[in-house]
Amino acid sequence: MNGPMLQSCGACCRRWQFRRGACPACGSAEVSEIAASGQGTVWSVTQVMRAPLSELDVPGGYGIALVTLVEGPRIMCRAENGLAIGERVTVTIRADNLPAATRA
Amino acid sequence: MAFLTGVAATAFGKHPGSDAPTLMETAARTAITDAGLPLEAVDGLVCGYATTFPHLMTATVMVERLGLKPRHAHQAAVGGATGAVGILLARHLIAAGACRHVLVLGGENRLTGQSRDDAVKTLAGVGHPVHEVPLGASVPAYYALVAARHLHETGASEGDLAELAVLMRRHAADHPGAQLTKPIGVDDVMASKPVATPLKLLDCCPISDGAAAVVVSAEPGQGASIRLAGWGEAHTHQHVSEMPDDLGLGARMAASAAFERAGRTASDMRLLGLYDSFTPTLAIFLEALGFAAPGQAGPMARDGLFGRDGHFPLNLHGGLLSYGHPGVAGFLAHVVEVVRQMRGEAGTRQVKGPPPLAYCHADGGVFSSHAGFVLERTA
Ligand SMILES: [Zn+2]
Repeated sequence: MNGPMLQSCGACCRRWQFRRGACPACGSAEVSEIAASGQGTVWSVTQVMRAPLSELDVPGGYGIALVTLVEGPRIMCRAENGLAIGERVTVTIRADNLPAATRA
Repeated sequence: MAFLTGVAATAFGKHPGSDAPTLMETAARTAITDAGLPLEAVDGLVCGYATTFPHLMTATVMVERLGLKPRHAHQAAVGGATGAVGILLARHLIAAGACRHVLVLGGENRLTGQSRDDAVKTLAGVGHPVHEVPLGASVPAYYALVAARHLHETGASEGDLAELAVLMRRHAADHPGAQLTKPIGVDDVMASKPVATPLKLLDCCPISDGAAAVVVSAEPGQGASIRLAGWGEAHTHQHVSEMPDDLGLGARMAASAAFERAGRTASDMRLLGLYDSFTPTLAIFLEALGFAAPGQAGPMARDGLFGRDGHFPLNLHGGLLSYGHPGVAGFLAHVVEVVRQMRGEAGTRQVKGPPPLAYCHADGGVFSSHAGFVLERTA
């Protein structure tokens, strides 16, 4: 299983996804890259029925979720159809490099 | 002290053949005339960006076009909050003694000046270029994620959100400049095309052409005196992935500062001009700012609380959802309506009173940047 990559603060243990040169919580520059377990909970989810680019449009739309990882941060990923808020999911990086959430 | 002395908005909808500077020029000249000022009195300009006119120096273009000789001019970009931040900035410029009459301006041909795909793609770019946009997320999708969370947390229904679209449409019907005036009911909203669940087409504001302008001055103008009594901003995140768990946090931070500076509370307000890009935007603002209990914005709209004769009349021109949304001018049109109502100049839409206190609020991004202010009629 390849989980999404995060950054982790060596000083205060805060973890986050968007790349930064220092910790957004405490300012420490002691930042390392870690691989997330991929385990998390659906914070919110939507089925996109009208894509921003017509080439992305698929019948029935596609799911996008915000998943709160057990490591702390909330990340956006493609979602298996029918996911509900509060469900336990596993986030993996697909072959096309996009993170995707499936029922744990 | 700062006062809102001049306001103007064009009709919103289609203005084929009018580019952004042309639309802005119309609104600017009308607002300056409305303030009763000669052109040379305008010594400041805060000009919003225009997606159909991606110029590095939009403010300077408008200085040249209008024939202004300002002591300060620049282009501002805070997404949907640009007009609100612009008005606060005008107040700060006046307080600093740098300017006496600042024009806050926005407008563009967002509807007819580009294809729908281009418009949607440009807007989706507020998402994170690595972690959000490649997933196929769009602005409606970002707001849909917040909307779904809001419904989950409050127990409100999609039908409750629909009430807010119905209300905005009812208000727009009384304004000759509104883009969408055909009456709708909750059923119409529920039956409209799904965009990103739980949002349907009628939960989303349209894309429009149009412009609006507000003059902020060091002294009251002719007629009613509308003072900027309190203001606040909050910038809690940019991307929805990093939005605080408390969906109303940024709105509440900006509003609390505004109410505190004005020495007022939400319950003192008698008129509201709240940004309504999507029905959940309005629901979250109404509930976070204390105008409705959690999950109750829709039911309270249905009961008439936010109508012209209600306790908190809201967006009486029809808001972004029905008056229309041409970008920066979108929120400025809320301010234009609020000022006209406070002056008692709103004609058939006029609230009884006229209202002595109003609160205006906008967000940019996805509840990312907030600016709010209290207006008080002092004479
Ligand atoms: Zn830290």
